[in-house]
Amino acid sequence: MTPVSTWRWPTPNGLPPRSLIISALVLLCALWLTAPIVEVDFVRLFGSIGKMAKFAGQMYVTPDWHYVPQLLRKMLETIEMTVLGTAIAIVISLPLGILAAHNATPHLFVYRLTRDLLSLMRALPELVWALVFVSAVGLGPLPGVMALAFVTVGFMGKFFAESIEVVDPKAVEGVRAHGAGWLQVRLFAMLPQALPDIVGSVMYILDHNLRAAAILGLVGAGGIGYDMVMSMRMFQYDRIPLIALSIYLVVTALDRASDYLRSRIIHGSRKSTFAT
Amino acid sequence: MIVRDLDISFESLAYGVADIGEYFSRYGQPDFTNLSRYLALMGITLATALWGTVFAFLVAFSLGPLAARNFAPNPVVYRVARETLNFMRAMPDLMLALIFVAALGLGPLPGALALGVHTAGFLGKFFAESLERVDKNVCEGVQSTGANFLQMVMYAGWPSILREALGYTLYIMDRNVRMASVLGLVGAGGIGMALHTTLRLFEYGQSAALILVILATILIIDYASAWLRRRLG
Repeated sequence: MTPVSTWRWPTPNGLPPRSLIISALVLLCALWLTAPIVEVDFVRLFGSIGKMAKFAGQMYVTPDWHYVPQLLRKMLETIEMTVLGTAIAIVISLPLGILAAHNATPHLFVYRLTRDLLSLMRALPELVWALVFVSAVGLGPLPGVMALAFVTVGFMGKFFAESIEVVDPKAVEGVRAHGAGWLQVRLFAMLPQALPDIVGSVMYILDHNLRAAAILGLVGAGGIGYDMVMSMRMFQYDRIPLIALSIYLVVTALDRASDYLRSRIIHGSRKSTFAT
Repeated sequence: MIVRDLDISFESLAYGVADIGEYFSRYGQPDFTNLSRYLALMGITLATALWGTVFAFLVAFSLGPLAARNFAPNPVVYRVARETLNFMRAMPDLMLALIFVAALGLGPLPGALALGVHTAGFLGKFFAESLERVDKNVCEGVQSTGANFLQMVMYAGWPSILREALGYTLYIMDRNVRMASVLGLVGAGGIGMALHTTLRLFEYGQSAALILVILATILIIDYASAWLRRRLG
């Protein structure tokens, strides 16, 4: 017997699957072809490490403490935009979600139409809509909230529809057998079952929207992004670390909170199904 | 309360509905005269997204196993890797792009780097979570052959989560195409810059054409990646 090398994949011939090798080769070709377009030049990249270090050094100055009150004000605005945009989106996407779930929709045509509408709404990133809305209604948090709500409806409508589609049909039949009307079936049989799922996706969306709201200011749509781009343009590098730190703290806090809440909800719902 | 704090007046919004309608009607006639230029810009955007994804994959590929509880060589490394990924994830990619543009100059490369750093945080977390779900028996089997950390990762870790990992990478690619199309706003190359300029110049026809080009590309990539992921799953 030939000695078996210790460096072998768990496949019969010890090599990675052929499809994987072929895709890797195709990918390498694509990378090689696109490198000049993206101006990836590893010599330049390594040469610029010194420049990066010097640049980082400029940021490593004493933070501008006088800026903190304004920073807090802007951060609060960012959070408020997130909450408001998400709240508006929830109100709009609940009915749309019902229309886009194939077991709750009034007609198959409505189902297809709503689905396509939702995927169109979530196709473009918030910033593109923010650009359009800023030139439509002017600077300030309003276009930001509109852009957030618009894209979020696209995502949330889809999530809602998917969680309504997986509800237990037995409960729905039970409620229908009591003579419940169209709306009653949807409100009292489907929504309560889909609720834990829905809360989970709302937490996920909130997280996503906070990140999005933090950069909407780049196009003048309110929030901390405006300060970020302004301090970059005016070379006030002493503000950048503070802004970065505040975004990191808020995003991480929300991340932890949503992890905790989601595990509580999943745990809670499992407990209640065991009880019944 | 939030509404008052943000100084938003929905009344004026309601009164302005007619104006807004008029405003959006200006986007009615997309102007495709520069289509070949737009497509070239979209190509740059796609290339940026691809390179960003590759950067992210390389970082996540090396950090992921260190951030998985069952593979990490020791708890300190695990915590450090986790926190590094968290930090990368928390930094918005546009802010990173601003910083990289200031440090490296204009062009798509800072955009690709920014996408890479930000999404490496996501991808690394996804990889770590998948690795933590790897069947314990598989790990023990490989371990019993006396495999070291690298061998464990390469022969027990990645082969078990190959499909999942590729699926996540496709998802990230999908997301990066979306983000790459707006990175131009901060001077990081691609189609976003052109959109910003045409909106500034009130050339609504061209803006509409650009938005349609972005929309079409994103929808195509969306379907392609959904199809690929279905094939994988």
